[in-house]
Amino acid sequence: MKRFLEDTKARIVQWLGQRASRDINFVDRLCRRLLDRVLRLPPENDFLRDEWVDSDVGFDPDELDRYQRGETE
Amino acid sequence: MSAPRHPSRTKPGVETKRTLCATCDVSCNVVTEVKKGRVVRVRSSDNPIFRDNICMKGIVAPKAFAHPNRLMHPLKRVGERGSGKWEQVSWDEAMTDIAARLQAIIDRDGPEAWAVSTSQWNTATDHGLGRRLMNHLGSPNWISGVALCAGNTAAINRMTYGWFPFADFPNTNCIVLIGHNPRRNSWVPVYNQIRRAQARGAKLIVLDPRKSSNAELADVWLPLRAGTDTAMLFGWLKVIFDEGLYDKDFVENWTVGFDELRARVDEFPLDRVAKITGCDPEEIRKAARIYATHGPAVIPWTPITDMQRNSTSGIRLQSILRSVCGYVDVPGGEALQGFHPHVIPESKIEAHEMLSEEQKAKQLGSDTHPAFTYRGQAGLLEHTKRVWGYEYTNQVTGCFMANPSATFRAMAGEGRYPVKAFFSLGNNTLLSFANMPLILKGMMNQDLIVVHEQFMTPTAQLADYVLPGDSWLERPWLHDSFGWSSMVRPSQKSMEPLGECESTFSVWKRLATAMGRGDIIPWDTLEDFYDYRLEPSGMSWAEFSESYEIYFGPLEFRKYEKTGFATPSGKVELKSSILEGLGFDPLPYFRDDPPPNPEYPLMMFTGVREDEFFQTGQRHVPELRARKPEPNLFVSPGTAKAQGIAEGDWAEVINPTGSAAMQVLVKDAMPDGLVRIPHGWWKPEMKQGAGHLSGALAHADAQLCPDDEDFLDREQGVPHLKGIPCRIERLDAPPEGAQ
Ligand code: SF4
Repeated sequence: MKRFLEDTKARIVQWLGQRASRDINFVDRLCRRLLDRVLRLPPENDFLRDEWVDSDVGFDPDELDRYQRGETE
Repeated sequence: MSAPRHPSRTKPGVETKRTLCATCDVSCNVVTEVKKGRVVRVRSSDNPIFRDNICMKGIVAPKAFAHPNRLMHPLKRVGERGSGKWEQVSWDEAMTDIAARLQAIIDRDGPEAWAVSTSQWNTATDHGLGRRLMNHLGSPNWISGVALCAGNTAAINRMTYGWFPFADFPNTNCIVLIGHNPRRNSWVPVYNQIRRAQARGAKLIVLDPRKSSNAELADVWLPLRAGTDTAMLFGWLKVIFDEGLYDKDFVENWTVGFDELRARVDEFPLDRVAKITGCDPEEIRKAARIYATHGPAVIPWTPITDMQRNSTSGIRLQSILRSVCGYVDVPGGEALQGFHPHVIPESKIEAHEMLSEEQKAKQLGSDTHPAFTYRGQAGLLEHTKRVWGYEYTNQVTGCFMANPSATFRAMAGEGRYPVKAFFSLGNNTLLSFANMPLILKGMMNQDLIVVHEQFMTPTAQLADYVLPGDSWLERPWLHDSFGWSSMVRPSQKSMEPLGECESTFSVWKRLATAMGRGDIIPWDTLEDFYDYRLEPSGMSWAEFSESYEIYFGPLEFRKYEKTGFATPSGKVELKSSILEGLGFDPLPYFRDDPPPNPEYPLMMFTGVREDEFFQTGQRHVPELRARKPEPNLFVSPGTAKAQGIAEGDWAEVINPTGSAAMQVLVKDAMPDGLVRIPHGWWKPEMKQGAGHLSGALAHADAQLCPDDEDFLDREQGVPHLKGIPCRIERLDAPPEGAQ
């Protein structure tokens, strides 16, 4: 019985992950929302937080062009 | 199917692509944002299962690949080797000449005179095509960084239960990190999985000489002496056997060699283990009990046990612990997944059956250190086919490799036959294996060196041809977990390649065509090739990459109850018939360090990866260098005082193999007597060419890594990088180029 429950739980976890990964129809999005709630951890519990990762900044395309031409640092 | 995937985060004028970051080897699912045809931002996936899987290296990638020094065109050497004199040529010119010169070497010295070094995590779109071409042409001499990092672990795991397992983090109750320290900016997906598991109440056990960030949060931290993993694992087994904490049913029905193993384990009473490892016996007992009783538990792959004098025994003991505690192929334990049934695996693409037995027998290192070579893996072929469907199952690209040290010796003219043509793809070979002086000698002795790269690395500086490589932003990618698990993920192409940069797929295709063997790689484009590989799924690449972020194989547990294990006995081999057949001890054992040398009183832990960089890359990125401008060695306050060095000083680390200059950081978390040095340093801004190699000759750790027999694992021939004798001497002035 224990074995059956453990196997079933693992199958459900994978099924949810697979559906969430498709994100095409209503059920997929529902799975995504459910996993979102289950997997969300309070950011303050992230014991190695990093300002860069938190802000996750991007670049400006023209700035990258100029950088590539050696015009900026 | 064509609806925008993440409407909430779609911005006007910004196109998004679902991509896999390939800046390091964990391949995070990320989203790229494209403006004016250029990737301007990389952010973490919107999918909660990949939440927060991104680090600073991924974030800065658009700038890293836009660097003004990126290689944009094929270059041909025109001066002496390493003179730094190049001329720009077309791809066609380059490949025609390369093919002719390679063919001439093959005609003169045999196909085995051609060696290739690559790491498929870096080249991504190789997909085993390099090996395919080599196998058709007759060369067994393919080497890779996976020889000392995961690939070798896969080859050894297979000797116990026929497959390299994948840790099931989402369902586990206990995680054991052996020297591994996943962080916010390094191995992020594993870091996030550990945090989630701990939040669910899972136990964490950390084995690490220093108090790492994970050690601080662990239920048990075992500060073992560097390089003594194997003795520690014997200690765990001693506790588990003596206290009857193992899975008796599984052991009785599914293992062979238990009594012999038990007798060997009895040679390791805890006081002996404590003496070797330097750990408190009560703490060792506590850790072993938690592992055995709080399962299902996982011992995720660690790069640390891969690189030791006792590596084979240490990896075997990990696989034995998993087995005797009943954690193999169960939820929350160590999954044996096999290949995805709907995707043609790289193992098939590689076409190992095309290489004759005569050529396989010539594989370098297979006579002395055969474990991951053709000879070492031969005994598994029919059993692997029985269980997993393919004879030549090549997991993590590391099975059926030549031995790197033996290959470099042959390149240097000291082997059983000469190697005269050397190709290095996405693999800064010179800095990536032990004994850099030998590798340098080997490279200087080549008739032809071809390098496929994004930047002018020290290895590229010694090439005849340097071919410009594309980046993960500039190509599609079908990621099949390198045969480790059955998860398959697509990565969409985000932008056109810069300049004339091309993929590894393209290099092999061009070479095959230029050698008159276009039939070996018949697909015109990567997309065609992926269509072929996805045929069993009924999806084209376009459909697949639009529909999935991850595509799981069918989930089945305890498959061995139907098929048996893919070993000669069909059971878990606690006593390995394969190792016995190769003439080695079939049971794990422990070799002590060679006698101490008073000239080198300290121990060095080398190969350390820093958050800012992956292997030898990224030193050119200003943002990352600003965070880590110099190679830093770590020592304890006690060791610093004893050595007369202080934080910020420069010091030379010296041993009989070589020396390297590092800046000193004093860390309370370090144990006394241990020096921790970072991996893969060179400085792209410094002078290029022979005699300089952009600072590699001053700073690269590979100069300090010996590969003589005392420092090689017997079965695999991998170097012992975790506990090398050394001394440190304070430098009066910073070395040239120090910031
Ligand atoms: S950990 Fe960082 S560098 Fe590695 S794949 Fe993830 S984002 Fe990229």
